[in-house]
Amino acid sequence: MSAAAREFAAWSLPAAVALPERPALTDRYGDLAVQRLAVDPSWVRGVAAGLRASREALRRKPARELAALVGAAGARFLDPEDPMRARALALLPETAGLSAEMSAAVLDGMARDWTAERLERLLSAEFTNPAALDGFVPGAFELARALGPQLCVQIVSGSVPGVGATALVRSLLVKGPTLVKPGRGDVVLPVLLAGAVRSADPAVGDALAVVYWPGGDARLDAAALLEADVVTAYGGDEAVGLLRASTPVTARFAGYHHRFSFGVVGREALDTAHRHRTASEVAGAVAFFDQRGCVSPQVVFVEEGGEASPVEFARELAGAMEVVERHLPGGVLDAGEATRLQHVRGTAELQAAAGAGVEVHHGGTRAWTVIFDPGPELGPSCVGRLIRVRAVADVREVPAVVSPLWRHLQTAALAGCGTRRERLASALADVGVSRIAGFATAPFPAPWWHHDGQGPLRALVRWADLEGE
Amino acid sequence: MEPGSAFADLTSTLEALFATGVGANLDEGSFNELALRVFAFQFGANAVYRGFCKRRGSTPDTVTGWEDVPAVPTTAFKYVDLACVEPSAAEATYVTSGTTSGSERRGRHHVPSVALYRASALPNLRAHLVPEDRALTLLSLIPSPAEAPHSSLSAMMGFVAEEWGEPSVWLGGTGGSIDLEALGRAARDAARRESPVLLAGTAFAFVRLLDELARAGGSLALPEGSRIMETGGFKGRSRTVGREELYGALEARTGVPRGRIVNEYGMTELLSQLYEPVLREGPGASGRHVPPPWLKIRALDPATLAPVPAGTPGLLAFFDLANAGSVSHILTQDVGAVSPDGVRIRGRAEGAEPRGCSLALEDVLGAKEGPG
Repeated sequence: MSAAAREFAAWSLPAAVALPERPALTDRYGDLAVQRLAVDPSWVRGVAAGLRASREALRRKPARELAALVGAAGARFLDPEDPMRARALALLPETAGLSAEMSAAVLDGMARDWTAERLERLLSAEFTNPAALDGFVPGAFELARALGPQLCVQIVSGSVPGVGATALVRSLLVKGPTLVKPGRGDVVLPVLLAGAVRSADPAVGDALAVVYWPGGDARLDAAALLEADVVTAYGGDEAVGLLRASTPVTARFAGYHHRFSFGVVGREALDTAHRHRTASEVAGAVAFFDQRGCVSPQVVFVEEGGEASPVEFARELAGAMEVVERHLPGGVLDAGEATRLQHVRGTAELQAAAGAGVEVHHGGTRAWTVIFDPGPELGPSCVGRLIRVRAVADVREVPAVVSPLWRHLQTAALAGCGTRRERLASALADVGVSRIAGFATAPFPAPWWHHDGQGPLRALVRWADLEGE
Repeated sequence: MEPGSAFADLTSTLEALFATGVGANLDEGSFNELALRVFAFQFGANAVYRGFCKRRGSTPDTVTGWEDVPAVPTTAFKYVDLACVEPSAAEATYVTSGTTSGSERRGRHHVPSVALYRASALPNLRAHLVPEDRALTLLSLIPSPAEAPHSSLSAMMGFVAEEWGEPSVWLGGTGGSIDLEALGRAARDAARRESPVLLAGTAFAFVRLLDELARAGGSLALPEGSRIMETGGFKGRSRTVGREELYGALEARTGVPRGRIVNEYGMTELLSQLYEPVLREGPGASGRHVPPPWLKIRALDPATLAPVPAGTPGLLAFFDLANAGSVSHILTQDVGAVSPDGVRIRGRAEGAEPRGCSLALEDVLGAKEGPG
C-alpha cells in the first residue's frame, strides 16, 4: 500500500475557504493518521455562511444535470480502475472498523445508489415533475415550484459508512448548498465524494463542504445550525434531540434517530427446499454493517409449525452466520460494543444453564452470536452480529409483540409469509414499521425509499405557489 | 458435608478474615486458596452457575487460579437468579436501582448471609470514613433500610447507623426527596453537641441538596471533624465531569474540606466496596479507589477478556470473597485502570463515539444500571 494512503484529511472545502489557524489534529488508527481541522464556532459559522452565499451556481443548473454530475462522481467508487475507489477501500476498514471484505461490500452497495441512473429515478420518484426544481410547473391547482435549502446543515453522528455521502447527494439533488459533519467512522466517503464533485465542477463544489469534528460538540454544531434553513441529523435519540433543540425555529428539521429493525420468518421459508437459503439471507442481513445499520435486524421471529422448528432454525442460522463470517468477516467492535456483547452473551449462557430453554451459539472470538429465547420478552441485544431468535405461533402475532417499540420501528424483513405477506405488512405498518423488505435486500434500501417514513428529497424542499393575478 | 454447613464453615472463615480489617494479611497464595474454595462451594451449590462454568469448560477440577474462574456479567443479575440458596431462603434480596420510568428489568442479588455483607462492609467503612472509630452523627440522604429494604446501599447505611450513629437521622425519601428542614435541625443539633457528622448520599442527592440550599439561600454548616460520603458519582460521563464542581460546592456549603469528601464505588452485585482513601492518605488520593484485600480487581480487554497491562484502562472485573453466597467473579460495564495502588475508574464502557443508528433493545426501553 502506498504511503499516501496512510494519511487522510477529514475535510473537503471550497477553494476560497481559509483553513483554521490552529494546526490540524490527528486521530490514529494503527498506522493510518486521520487529520482533522481544529475548528472553532466562528470558523464553522463563516464556512456555513459562505456556502449559503455560493448557491447561485447550483440554482442555475437543471436538476437532471446535477443528478448526472453527482452520479458521475459517485460512479467512480464502482470503477475498479479509479484511484478514488482504491483509496476508499484502503481507508474504510480502519476508519469504519469493518473488515476489508465488508468495506468493499458496503461501498458497492452504497455507491450503486449514487449513480446517475439511480439518482434520476430518485428525482422522478420524489417529484411528479422534477422540472419543479428548475421553475414553476403546473401543480394540481396552480403553478408550483420546489426550492431546495439555502443551506442544508447535516450532522451525522453514527458511523455506518455511506450515510454522510448519501446526505450530501440528497442536498445537491435539490440544489441545496450543504455542510456535512460526518460521524467519526464515516469521514472517508463524503470527503472523497465531495472532492470528486468539486473537481468535476468547481462552481458546484463551492456550495459544499465536508468537515469532521468530534460528535456532540454542542458549540460547533450550534454555530453551523445558525446559518441553516434545513437541518438533518442522524444518530442516537439523545444526539438527535440535542440537535433539534439547537436548531433555529425558522429552520426545518429532519431527524433520523435510533431505529429498531427485525425479521419475520414464516413457515413457508422453513421447508427443506428453502430453509438453507432463508438462514443464509437472514445471516447476511444481520452481518451487514456488522449490524450497526438502522436497517439491521436485531431480532428474528420464527413461526412454529413449519418443517423446521424455531430452535432448529436457530441452529441452522448459527451455521449460516459462521459461513458469512468466512466471506464477509466481522470487523472490530469498540469498547462499548464489545462490553455489551460480553454481557449479552454471558447472560444468555446463564439463562441456558438455568434451563429456561435458551440456546446460545456463537463464534468464540468472532462476534457472531445466535440466541434462541423462548421467553416472552425481547431480551437484551447489542450490535456486532448478535441475533435473537424468538418463536411465534403465528406470524400475525408479531405486530403486537413489537408494538411497544413503536417510536423506533423501521425495517421489517419478511420471508416465507406467502399469501399472508400483504396483510402482515399492513398490520406492521399500522404499529409503526416504515419499511417491509426481504432479508436479501434489507441492508440496502433503494435511494427513493421513504426514509423513516418520509421522502428523502421532499423532506428538504419548500414549495412556492404561483397563483393567477 | 451438606451445603448449609459448608457455607457456614466458609462464612466463619471469611468473617474471621474480614474482622482483621483492611490491613488483613492476605498474600496472593492465601487469597487464591480462599477464592478457589469459594468457587468450589459456588460451583456445588449454584446449579445455574455450575452449568455456565461447565459450558465454559471451567470446573473446580480444572481451575487453579482465581482469574480463570468464569466471571458473570452484571447484566445477568437482571435475568437469572444467581444464589447458592433458594431465592426464597435468602436473608435479603437487593435490587439495582432503575430509571424513573421503572419499566425495565432490575438486577436482583440474593444474599444468603447479611452478616457476611456486614462483616465485609464495616472494616472498610471504618478505614475510609470512621478511622477514629467513635460515635458520630449520621445524616443520611440515603433512605433507611426500613424504607428501602431492597437497597444494598441502604443496608450498608444501616450497618453504619448500628455501629456509629448516635444519632442516625434519615433524611432521604425513596422518591429522592430531601427533608431540608430536618436536615438543618439535625446539623444544628450535632453542632451543639460538637458531634462530627457523616453526611452520606448519592451524587444525585447532593446535587439536589445543593440546588435546594441555593434556592433557600442557606448553607449547612457541619461541625469540625465532619466528613461526607458520596456514592454513585461514576455512573455516566456527565457526572464525572461535574465531580470537581460538586465537591467544590459541597465544601462551600457545608464547610467540609475537599479532603474529607470520600467517594464510594459499589454496586448491588458486589458486597464489598471501594473507597478513595483521602482520609487516610490525604486529598492527593482523590480519583483513585482502593479495595479491601478480599476484593481483587482486574482490567480486561473487552473483546478478549485478557488482562490489559497495569495502568491501562480496561473493562473492570472483580473477585469478591464477600460474595461467597452468590457469585464472586463479576464482570462489570465500567472501565478503569488498575495499578498496585488501586483503580482509577473512568466510567461506563463506551466507544469514542456512538457508531450505529441501530439500537440495542434495552436502550429502547430506557434501561440503565444504577448505583447499588
